[in-house]
Amino acid sequence: MIAKTVVDGFVAGLHRSPDFGFSQEFAEYRAYSEGDDLRHVDWNVFARTDKCFLKRYRGETNSQLLILLDTSASMAYGSHQVTKLDYARFVAASLCYMANLQRDAAGLIIFDEDVNNYVAPSTHQGQLFRLLHAIEKVAPGTHTDFTKPFVHFQNFLHRRGIVVVLSDFYEDPGVIVRTVEPLRYKGNEVILFHILDPQELKPRFREPVLLVDMENAANALEVSPEYARNEYRRKIDAHVEALSSKVRSAGMDYFLMDTERPLDEGLREYLAVRRGRL
Amino acid sequence: MGFFTPWFLAGAALVGLPVWLHLLKKHRTTPLPFSSLMFFEQRTQSSIKHRRLRYLVLFALRATLLLLIALAFAHPYIRRTVLPLKHAGEVTVIAIDNSLSMREGNRLPEAKQMAKSLVGSLRPGERAEVMAFGQRVQVLSEVTDDHAPLNAAIDSIEPTDARTSFGELTRTLRSIRQSLQLPLDVHLYSDMQQSGMPPNFNDLRLGVGLRLDPHPLAAKTTPNYTVENVVALRRVYDNKKTRVLATVAGYGNTKTTRNVSLVLNGRVVESKPVEVPESGRATVEFVSLDVPYGRNKGEVRIDSGDSLPADDTFYFSVERADPRPLLFVHEAGNTAAQLYFTDALEASGQSAFAIDAATPEQTANLNPAKYAFVVLSDVGELPGGFENALRNYVRGGGSVLVALGHNAMARMKVPVSDDKVEAAAYAAREGDQFQSVAWLDPSHPSIQNNSRWDDVKFYQAIRIAPGNARVVARLTDGTPLLLDQKSGDGHILVFASTLDNVANDFPLHPSFVPFVERTARYLGRLDSGPSSVLVGSFEELRDSKEAGSAVDVLDPRGDRVFSLAEATRAQNIQFTEAGFYDIRRPNGRNELVAVNADRHESDLTPAPPETLTLWQNTANRTVSEAGGTASSEQKPVSLWWYVMLVVLVLALAESLLGNRHLSVDKEAA
Repeated sequence: MIAKTVVDGFVAGLHRSPDFGFSQEFAEYRAYSEGDDLRHVDWNVFARTDKCFLKRYRGETNSQLLILLDTSASMAYGSHQVTKLDYARFVAASLCYMANLQRDAAGLIIFDEDVNNYVAPSTHQGQLFRLLHAIEKVAPGTHTDFTKPFVHFQNFLHRRGIVVVLSDFYEDPGVIVRTVEPLRYKGNEVILFHILDPQELKPRFREPVLLVDMENAANALEVSPEYARNEYRRKIDAHVEALSSKVRSAGMDYFLMDTERPLDEGLREYLAVRRGRL
Repeated sequence: MGFFTPWFLAGAALVGLPVWLHLLKKHRTTPLPFSSLMFFEQRTQSSIKHRRLRYLVLFALRATLLLLIALAFAHPYIRRTVLPLKHAGEVTVIAIDNSLSMREGNRLPEAKQMAKSLVGSLRPGERAEVMAFGQRVQVLSEVTDDHAPLNAAIDSIEPTDARTSFGELTRTLRSIRQSLQLPLDVHLYSDMQQSGMPPNFNDLRLGVGLRLDPHPLAAKTTPNYTVENVVALRRVYDNKKTRVLATVAGYGNTKTTRNVSLVLNGRVVESKPVEVPESGRATVEFVSLDVPYGRNKGEVRIDSGDSLPADDTFYFSVERADPRPLLFVHEAGNTAAQLYFTDALEASGQSAFAIDAATPEQTANLNPAKYAFVVLSDVGELPGGFENALRNYVRGGGSVLVALGHNAMARMKVPVSDDKVEAAAYAAREGDQFQSVAWLDPSHPSIQNNSRWDDVKFYQAIRIAPGNARVVARLTDGTPLLLDQKSGDGHILVFASTLDNVANDFPLHPSFVPFVERTARYLGRLDSGPSSVLVGSFEELRDSKEAGSAVDVLDPRGDRVFSLAEATRAQNIQFTEAGFYDIRRPNGRNELVAVNADRHESDLTPAPPETLTLWQNTANRTVSEAGGTASSEQKPVSLWWYVMLVVLVLALAESLLGNRHLSVDKEAA
């Protein structure tokens, strides 16, 4: 329901295929060459000019969407009602619903340090419900390890499409890019949704706190408010900046999603940016 | 400092709250799950650091705030001398001393300046009035809250030659208080001369509703010299006998020599150095004053060099005239009475009268009108025409002294008055067979200050019915000895015995001389007033016969004192300035009156502060008894409001500061 509400609110157009096809939308004329299908010759033009021209149309193809959802323990963090994992699930569900509306094949990979669940992309009847069911069953797992599951991901990609990675990316930006970049080699369009809680971006502690790592309970640190206010923020800002920079320089898309922002607002902004780019 | 409700101070224990919050509350580290510690580092905070005074200023503010709240509830107060709140409708009275002593230095301008400052400090709607006082009190403005007339009234105050009278001031203030029925706050600007205090301190009693705020202008005694007094005859008839005796006084001075000059009609006649002892007096005698005929202006001056020159000159008037004739009628065989009478007049030191002696027979052709008065010394029958002339003379204002002896007994009536002689009282010369004076009327001009008649023996007296006559003296058997009978405008003075030493031994007693001298002055209408009078004294200008006629009076500056309308009505005049007043009466009795300031003003010694406090307390005690507010007293002044104001300010500061600390995080966000 959340995905439907979110998507219905703003879906207005479809993503275009980069290939020319034979659909209804005229694109250009091209001189006839041998071997071309005579069905595409514009006989009206031939009658007027005595030359054979082929009509070319902009192709509208069905795309494949593969969503990689990180369910590591850190994704269970939330300083308010909606945890990062919840937010990621809403985003994933919304994307699946949107793909289903466009009759795109949508798939889902749920991973933490390993691949936990996989729903192969398909346009078959009931695919959406399979996806939503898989999303609903998602539970926080252990710690994240990008290296291991991403090796398997390449095996799941048989045709090019759009790969969306939803994660908090608590890893070195270089490692992340190196790990994710191979997905793009097969012509996939890779989008990284960096999902972070506002408390992670700008932590506010009024007194010293003992922070316990959610992915490793043995790891705990006593942190002063001054540190969180100053040094931590500098570090997380540098991390976001580095990740964004490296991802974009690798030809991938990066979008930072603050869980405090409304979901539709985040998606709309992303799609607006993306449409402008195409 | 004290507390009305000290048990509220226990609330100061609340200070423990911020102490606990800021200092003692133990830091508890809250385990908080966090997504990743990837960007955190180990930073150990010491317990001391945790317990440090986190917000030192905030803590101080909060602790002080709680302390002050507890203090405010304890209701602190301090004892302070406070002036009472103004009564509703209280009138501020500004009384400025303009007596002679205020001419010293810069006292009066300073007093006026201080008074103006007071007017300037009056609150809107606060009413005041201005008065100047010396010997009398002059109210110079009405009761008003308008500053302009008050300042104008203060500006109009000029120094006078009057004497300070705090008693008169107090009496006037009481009177104003009673008439206004409002409390008065009296601000007194004066040099507070000790000599201005009345002899009876009760005269300074302020009474109910009066509060006195004295503003003394002099703190210590200022050295001052003055000519305190001059003794000189007002009228002289013999130049050789004239002398002037001056008394010079120094107040708060050291022993020094000063030059004293005698000035007559503006010309220095004689100068003498005189050594003035320390805070003492010295006398200077000027002899053989050559006084020309007429009215003369005399002065005695001292070259004081002090800061109060107004009292350095003493004025006196001297009039030189020829002796006036008097007629002494006696029987041819009795010259003893004339002898005694003439000797007594000469012994009095004045030659104001020249005696013309005559027997009754010789009076037939005499006109009594040309004599100052007439003496009938035990005469028998008088010529009828002369006796009638005497009666007319008396009715027209003349005077006759009648001495009765055996000749009067033979006639059985008193000459001129025709009063019946009742009997003759005789006494023997031996033993106790004589009479003496049993009663004297000291108010009569013939007797005044001369009551030593006790030893006089009267052997014979003629008893007459007193009728409407004023009995001035009586003998032991009740016989009237001296009677003053008024007839028309004149007087007939009857002495019921003789003026020789036959019927009595009065001429042999010292009291005879003053009796004759004063009787002569009285009957001869010879004014024996002093050569000078004090500022503030009065002078009669006219008698009943002179009603409607103008009397011109020129003051020391030469200006007319009265307008034309006033000159015909004024019965008397009060001298307000030192100097010479020229009084010109319609009957030609012109007079030059020398007026001097009261020399009490020369003593510039201020009244001690204790006296002023006592004076103020005459109001305090009375007002307190009346249930009013005391003028100034030790009162507990509550500090509650001040403490609460500080609490308010601190609370505001605490809010701002606390908000600033809390907003650190918001700023970070």
